[in-house]
Amino acid sequence: MLYSLPQLRLLILLALTLLAGLGVREWRAGFPDAADRLERFDREESPVPLVPEAEPVAPASSATRRGPPPVATAGTGAPPPSGATAPSPASAPPAEPLDVNRAAAAELARLPGVSPGLAQRIVEERGRRGRFDSPEALRYVLGMGPKKLAAIRPFVTVSD
Amino acid sequence: MTERPLEAAPLLLPAATFAGGLAAAAWPMIPSPRILIATGAILLLAALLASARRPRVAVALALVAVALCGVLRAAPPVLPADHLARRALGTSFTLEARLDQEPVRWAPDRTRLLLEVDAVHAGPERLPASGRVQLTVYGELAAPLGEGQRVLVDTRLHRPIGFRNPGGFDYPAHLRRDGILLVGNTRAERVIAITPDAPAWRVAVKRWAVGVISARLPETSGALLAGLLMGERAALPRESDEAFRRAGVYHILAVSGFNVALLAGAVFAGLAMCGIPRRGAAIVAAGVLVGFAAVVGGQPSVLRATVMGLLLLAALLLDRESQLMNALALAVLALLIWRPSDLWEPGFQLSFAATAGIVYLTPWLTRLLGDRRWPSWLAAAVAVSLGAQAAVTPLMLAHFNQLSLIGIVANLAVVPLAGVATTLGMVALLVELGSATLAELLFHALWLLLLALRAIVHVAAALPAAMVHLPAPGLLTIAAWYAALLLLPLAGAARRMRAIVGALLVTVAGLSAWPWLRPTETMLRVTFLDVGQGDAALIELPEGPRLLVDGGPGGARRFDVGERVLAPFLWNRPVGHLDVVALSHWDLDHSGGLAAVLSRFSIGEFWESGRAPAGASEAAMVLTRSRTPRRVLAAGQRLWLGRALITVLGPGPGPPGAANDDSLVLRLDWRGVSLLLPGDLGARGEAQLLERGGPLRTLALKVAHHGSRFSSTGAFLEAARPQLAVVSVGARNPFGHPSPDALARLAGFGARVYRTDRDGAVILETDGRRLQVTTWATGITEVFDLDATDTTAPE
Repeated sequence: MLYSLPQLRLLILLALTLLAGLGVREWRAGFPDAADRLERFDREESPVPLVPEAEPVAPASSATRRGPPPVATAGTGAPPPSGATAPSPASAPPAEPLDVNRAAAAELARLPGVSPGLAQRIVEERGRRGRFDSPEALRYVLGMGPKKLAAIRPFVTVSD
Repeated sequence: MTERPLEAAPLLLPAATFAGGLAAAAWPMIPSPRILIATGAILLLAALLASARRPRVAVALALVAVALCGVLRAAPPVLPADHLARRALGTSFTLEARLDQEPVRWAPDRTRLLLEVDAVHAGPERLPASGRVQLTVYGELAAPLGEGQRVLVDTRLHRPIGFRNPGGFDYPAHLRRDGILLVGNTRAERVIAITPDAPAWRVAVKRWAVGVISARLPETSGALLAGLLMGERAALPRESDEAFRRAGVYHILAVSGFNVALLAGAVFAGLAMCGIPRRGAAIVAAGVLVGFAAVVGGQPSVLRATVMGLLLLAALLLDRESQLMNALALAVLALLIWRPSDLWEPGFQLSFAATAGIVYLTPWLTRLLGDRRWPSWLAAAVAVSLGAQAAVTPLMLAHFNQLSLIGIVANLAVVPLAGVATTLGMVALLVELGSATLAELLFHALWLLLLALRAIVHVAAALPAAMVHLPAPGLLTIAAWYAALLLLPLAGAARRMRAIVGALLVTVAGLSAWPWLRPTETMLRVTFLDVGQGDAALIELPEGPRLLVDGGPGGARRFDVGERVLAPFLWNRPVGHLDVVALSHWDLDHSGGLAAVLSRFSIGEFWESGRAPAGASEAAMVLTRSRTPRRVLAAGQRLWLGRALITVLGPGPGPPGAANDDSLVLRLDWRGVSLLLPGDLGARGEAQLLERGGPLRTLALKVAHHGSRFSSTGAFLEAARPQLAVVSVGARNPFGHPSPDALARLAGFGARVYRTDRDGAVILETDGRRLQVTTWATGITEVFDLDATDTTAPE
């Protein structure tokens, strides 16, 4: 025989692992949101939905609190908008659209829902294809699902 | 196990006696080095003379000499003449230094640097200097720094101070063991790099590995893999970290014999597969081990595992039977000779205890379980888990008050899974060098494993009573426990041995249960804890009720006093239930540490003034989630707590004012002893308090607002006339608390002033007739006769 038994087992094991990896990759690419949820299953969700009921927010104090602009809450009294991935105050999206063909990974990571890892993959994908023809082309990046793209769509643009 | 363990491991006794000598050096009655050296020489000479006729005597004499060497080695090194610690501190320095470690980011805007100082710049002069400094940098560094880089830093240095509370962690001693005598802080723009970041190969390898992992895996899973492979836990989210602790499997996140064995095994097996002979494979594996140790750094557990791994490989090369116990003893001896102060590090103790437990107890446990007809694979796995757990339990309790009950079971599932994940991780990193595509697939497969690992840990940690917190055991308890472990495998059928082991275990059980069995105290005890700049006081009433007033500073982005100071203090007491937690107001130096307390202890009621919104603070959220009954108090209310009367003196009616002036003001009366707790009340609040009237005359006063200039007004003190005043304040706080004016006013009214920044925790104990004040940092206890002072107090 070409291989001894232990060698054969190791090779089969390696092949199995690679196959499993391939499967996981396809699944993650197809269902990035589900994958993201799975990854975060044991994380405490962002504290936004948990506003204590015993808190009569005085108008004077709401102005001093960090959070969404007063326009959004005044009048309606609605809680701050909460998405699947609530952006922390530090990662507020930039004022003018970000050019995904020029932006550095650190800038991309400031977009809502874009982790440093995803930003890095965007940069890598850009390197592979040269440039993104449209913001929709970001879907080629592993982990950029339709919801995530919709979330960042207002904040990004592509240059020629 | 061999019948004569000491002969199989000849280094065991020297290692133990050397460690004993090191430990004995902490004893204050140690004679001078010269006497020790002379004694040692005489002992060795005597041993030489006795060796021919009386070998046992010779061995004993030689061992005493080894112990003396330990005592000598423990002496702190003499500081060089240009050491920074010899300079007058307090002024600002410009230091020229080399980064001795990669910077550690421990909060979004805080970075910790370990500096090896070469020089101090004073104007145009450059004076050579030496010393290690731990520097905290606030703000974002302009460019990332790296190990080995040289920097110029403007900073003010001071000696480290910890939180000095009963059962607290001695932070300065911990730093001193690492050679750090001075600490400082500065802003990011005051740190200037003067050489480029040119990492050494080991740093570069580590950075590359961390970079690959974080690029290939999502956040939490990546952080977990970095922990498994290299002990890099910095990126692990707090809740995951906590879950691994609760599940009793935290050890897999540290580099230990586990990693070393897997690595050596993988190299060995891989090379053997390729047809390379055993000896060659062993040499390569040894080289890989040394490289690995250099990359992951020099924590005691890494060094221990590497030394032992190398010895085992050497045994293989020399065709000798390997003696694990002897290898362990040699590792102890080598490490302690090199870095004697490691003996006191929890990491060192846990690593060696776990290994010794596995080596010594596992064979016996396996046989025991095998006799009970357990399947052999299960018996072996449980025996390893039990052996390690039995050996580390007293240490975990002594250092962290933690006893993981689920640990033995959780380890059975987690350890094999972590082993596969670690191996696959190493393979994936290796493949990354060759083919990025293949490596990507391996990392995807690895992600599944990591998720499974996290799921198991998550479930185990979520079980009720997965971990219990107990007071730290005393030295006697620990000694009895280890003696019992030592004798257990030897007991066998001998009846006398069994009786001794039984007696030892009963002793351990009795001593451990004593805190709950002892008669309830008849004293009122008030502990003003040293929490830095902030307030926290525990009131223990004689009949049992306990009241915690304020929780000190804390929160996710800073040092959490609740988690690191209050919780250990309460566990050591032991206190599992707080009848009342009262909060004066929501400022972070009073409420920050509460979240940790509220989530770790059972709480009867929460008292607050209800004047200011709680906001979205963590403590408020824990409070809401746990459905703790909340009671909003206002001036005029009176409540009984046991036999003590609590009078609420503030806030009064009227519109909300400044948060400080709306502080909840409490007064406690018990058997003629009175205590006033005014929170952060300012001059305005004090004036309103006087207007409202109410009993203000008091024996003891917690000085308002950390001794601020704008509190403790003459009029208020005139009414209160405290005989004892406690200022709860942090050293070098930016507010200049306590102000000399306020202190002078207090002294002017005849108050004896205690300060937590100088005295550490201040403990008042009284039975109603005598009052004892203990200051924890100094260890001084003063006794006052209350009957006498009452009569002399001016009316």
